[in-house]
Amino acid sequence: MNILVLIKPTPDITKVRFDVEKGVVDRGSASLEINPFDLYAIEVAKRIKRVFGGFITSLSMAPPHAEPALRDAIARGVDRAILLSDRRFAGADTWATSYTLASAIRKLGSFNIILCGEKSVDGDTAHVGPEVAEFLGIPHVSFVTRIIDVSVDKVIVESDFGEAYYEVELKLPALIALSRPVIFRDEFIEPSMPKVSDVLRAKKAKIDVWSADQLADVADVSKFGLNGSPTRVVRAYYALEKGRETRVVKGEEGVNMILSVLRETGVIS
Amino acid sequence: MALPISLINELKSTVGDQWVIIEEKAVERYLYDETAYGVRPQPVRDIVVVKPGSTEEVSEVLKLANKYKAKVYIRGGGTGLVGGAIPTKPGIVLSLERMDKVHVDSENMVAEAEAGATLGKLIEEAEKHNLMFPAHPGDEGAFIGGLIACNAGGSRAVKTGVMRNYVLGLEVVLPTGEVLKLGAKTIKNNFGYNLAHLFVGSEGVLGVVTKAYLRLYPKWSYTATIVVPFDSRVKAFKTAKKLLFSGLIPLALEYFDRRVIEASAKHLGLQWPIMEGDYFLMVILAEALEDVLFLELEYVDKAAREEGSLEPFATQRTDEQKTLLKIRSEIFTALKKDTFDILDTTVPLGSVDKFIEAVMDIERKHGVWLPVYGHVGDGNIHIHVLNYQGYTREQLIGVSEEIYEAALKLGGVITGEHGIGYIRRKYVRRLLGDVWVETMRKLKGILDPNKVLNPDKVIPEE
Repeated sequence: MNILVLIKPTPDITKVRFDVEKGVVDRGSASLEINPFDLYAIEVAKRIKRVFGGFITSLSMAPPHAEPALRDAIARGVDRAILLSDRRFAGADTWATSYTLASAIRKLGSFNIILCGEKSVDGDTAHVGPEVAEFLGIPHVSFVTRIIDVSVDKVIVESDFGEAYYEVELKLPALIALSRPVIFRDEFIEPSMPKVSDVLRAKKAKIDVWSADQLADVADVSKFGLNGSPTRVVRAYYALEKGRETRVVKGEEGVNMILSVLRETGVIS
Repeated sequence: MALPISLINELKSTVGDQWVIIEEKAVERYLYDETAYGVRPQPVRDIVVVKPGSTEEVSEVLKLANKYKAKVYIRGGGTGLVGGAIPTKPGIVLSLERMDKVHVDSENMVAEAEAGATLGKLIEEAEKHNLMFPAHPGDEGAFIGGLIACNAGGSRAVKTGVMRNYVLGLEVVLPTGEVLKLGAKTIKNNFGYNLAHLFVGSEGVLGVVTKAYLRLYPKWSYTATIVVPFDSRVKAFKTAKKLLFSGLIPLALEYFDRRVIEASAKHLGLQWPIMEGDYFLMVILAEALEDVLFLELEYVDKAAREEGSLEPFATQRTDEQKTLLKIRSEIFTALKKDTFDILDTTVPLGSVDKFIEAVMDIERKHGVWLPVYGHVGDGNIHIHVLNYQGYTREQLIGVSEEIYEAALKLGGVITGEHGIGYIRRKYVRRLLGDVWVETMRKLKGILDPNKVLNPDKVIPEE
């Protein structure tokens, strides 16, 4: 089985700085790691490979310093990692990103299934998986919590649509965007720790870096990056956080204060 | 209330009415620390909690305590494990919680931290300046003052040393209220005997630490956590020894077994991710250069396999490393409800394996479970004595004392990091000797003539 995994190298969200003026995550402010949701995609890919045999290729679009994250993917079981990295890809919105990834998939040729995390922890849009599938014209389903069964020509999954769980059958090739945690058949899946021997092997592994020019035969390069992005971040701001206020009052005064606060906030009339 | 009302009033006019607490319910949370239930002393409830906001106020409170001959118990984050913060006589609990500022002088890589700042805050503030406080001496809710007063250790001591190694300067309020400023922001300072270190590890019997200059370092850029599973304890210790004697200095070198680590994971609602093996070494590496880190990874892998380990695992991901460390760090909490006492016996580096074998003999002799884990990298081993069915309090103390004896026989000590506090005071005279006790008494007499500070702690009763 030819398995593709889409991996987004994301910064540690607890450490990254946010450039409020430009409205973007300053990706240089923290090292990049595999998006946590995508770790589940790798695990599912490994399970499928275990059943059917095959080859796992990962595809990412990121700056060059994302390489360690891709080496981590190799240590965790990916057979070949491809990094789409070019200044011309920079500033892409989810449409341009999906277009670029889909172009690279076309260039790679045939595949049976594409797996990805349902969203990334930095962008949080959940757009890219479904958009890639739309560009490729293949069926897709997101928010998948369980792979009920998979065979050479179809996959049956359970998806959390918010108001209900849906059982969906898709003809392969298809794209599955995974939630976490996820069940593969009857097994609860958690990302497994890599073996040290695999970490050391991955350190020496070759990462294929593809530029915009290498996709020119399968794509319209003017649709890459910021130029190809139909959406713009107009303004970005931090959510307002109002901290707790402490006031120390005693006895009668305290009772009256609580009553007046409850009245002011409309809890009592 | 045993304290005179005039003292309460004077305390109120010193620190402000709202910072003097006498209501029973409000006082409750100042009565205990994290000492295991089986051995912690019964606190005295007849106390007043005073929360000074500055060094000057601490000084005034101590002067008042001397004037009224009132006892003073210093309180930090309440994370101690030997009853050091528990009031055992009527008096004042001096809580430093309001003095929680941390200023990072990034140019000089020094933190100026007030005693009431938590370890967590120090770590966070240093990080904002791309610096770090390398040691991790325990619970992040612990206060800096307490960490210094107890010379806290933690799992990183093998590489970073303990709290003492980071104290460049101190501000101490003496028991009589005078303020002593010691040291400077310099790394070297030979101007006069380093009195600051008299107070590091004094467990609050000689003075109140109010502020410190702590040395910071640039952050390690690359870290990895390795878990090496084994099918035998002996192989785990042989590997640990081999690593320690190789010259490779990991950030932490921890030992635990499956039963202990799975208890902690279960307590946290997590799963211990390694299915292979029943005994584990957890090796944390931290380096400035990626290539060095990888060379070390390679070495640990090779050394472990040579000693017969199973397949070692490693992660460089921050979230996974945090989870592994969390599971390791919460062993104590997971076992606490069944724990009679937690020991922190420490033996010389080369004797760790012999010590653990001795503990296993005690386990077999009594037919009980003695959870064993700890910092093999520095010889500091934690052992829980649990509340075994049918055992009296005296018998449980007997089990602890057998473990102490085993450590002492190997040239070890009964506490590597928790300290003496209240619960181990009874062993002081026998283990440290009369001359030690008399010297401490003389020191105490000079600094605290009215014996107001932390009575019933560290120094044996006369």
